[in-house]
Amino acid sequence: MSEMFSLAQATLKVIQDRRSIREYTDEPVSDQDLDMILEAARQAPSGENAQPWRYVIVKDPETRKKMGAIAGGGSGRRFTAEFVTKKMQERFTGLQDEAKKRAAFEKLTSGQVSTFLADAPIDIVVCGKKDVWDLPYDTSAAIENMLLMVTALGLGACWVIAPCIDIRDEQRIKILLGLPEELKAVSIISVGHPTRPHKPRPRLPIHELVFRERWGEAYYKDPA
Amino acid sequence: MSDERLPLGYSNDLIFELEKAFYDERGKGARFRTTTVGQRYFRARCLPRLASSEIGEILGTVAGALKSDGIAADVSWVDEERLLRIRVEGCVHRAVEENMLASGVEPFTCIPANLMVLALEEKLDRPVELAEIKLEEGACALLLVVFDKRPTLG
Repeated sequence: MSEMFSLAQATLKVIQDRRSIREYTDEPVSDQDLDMILEAARQAPSGENAQPWRYVIVKDPETRKKMGAIAGGGSGRRFTAEFVTKKMQERFTGLQDEAKKRAAFEKLTSGQVSTFLADAPIDIVVCGKKDVWDLPYDTSAAIENMLLMVTALGLGACWVIAPCIDIRDEQRIKILLGLPEELKAVSIISVGHPTRPHKPRPRLPIHELVFRERWGEAYYKDPA
Repeated sequence: MSDERLPLGYSNDLIFELEKAFYDERGKGARFRTTTVGQRYFRARCLPRLASSEIGEILGTVAGALKSDGIAADVSWVDEERLLRIRVEGCVHRAVEENMLASGVEPFTCIPANLMVLALEEKLDRPVELAEIKLEEGACALLLVVFDKRPTLG
């Protein structure tokens, strides 16, 4: 029996149900679903209505493999740097299970955390035109629209910044895809059918996030 | 204004203000957008001198350029396999890092470090990451990680 939601309730449910999905089945994403995802992106807010977003849809396994390698290499470098300076260990002090902690360190420092771009049926490379004022904000809004549509369609996606965050890796992506100088490679969104349901990640309580009129006075008086 | 007459304090203040403005925009992620800063100097002054593919000689070549051009007074290093611990003494850009620290921001860009990373990646074809910049008395202590191999791109 299907549940009934108001539009607002349905919107909030899609937002709350979104997960970062990194494991996909072999089932392809239909062209109809991809069209819906791209249309959601096209409707994102844009400063001065500049619409700086451009997308490259990558399905070719060899190109996905190379993008996965670039993403994994970048993540591996950054997380290893965090590990050798002991900052990663500080970040994980709350995790008591030593085996889980070791596994997390291995996954991060090896770069495996980001190589799944190779395994997703579709990678959407989000690019932004540099000759606009609001490139990062506009493209981020478009990405969130895509992620929500992916969720509404029952698909899974992950917003992957790893292959674009370091200018060296971004350059590799740009060469790989033939992106012109006037475009910035912003992120890659992997899309596919999830292999399993995922639990929600914890979120900070709302009363820690919101202030009344100016910084410092809590908007929500009752933490409950 | 010639190169010789450009006051160092003026140059470093500009570098600091640019770095700080970039940090204010990009936060800690600013670090990863400045990893190639210095590449024009690298191509002009270091790359033509790089002949060897041995780590010590690569670092020595970059150190030689930095010293002969008056950018650093001395550069020394300890090679611990994957880790390189580098000391840069008397760097002309030291004031930039001091200003960053005084502003409550951990230094995230070091031109000598970038030059060494660029040189190592160029000659060894291995990824290198700057892990840490620490300001010590009279020197900057840098920590680089040298990885075994580049990810396979097919």
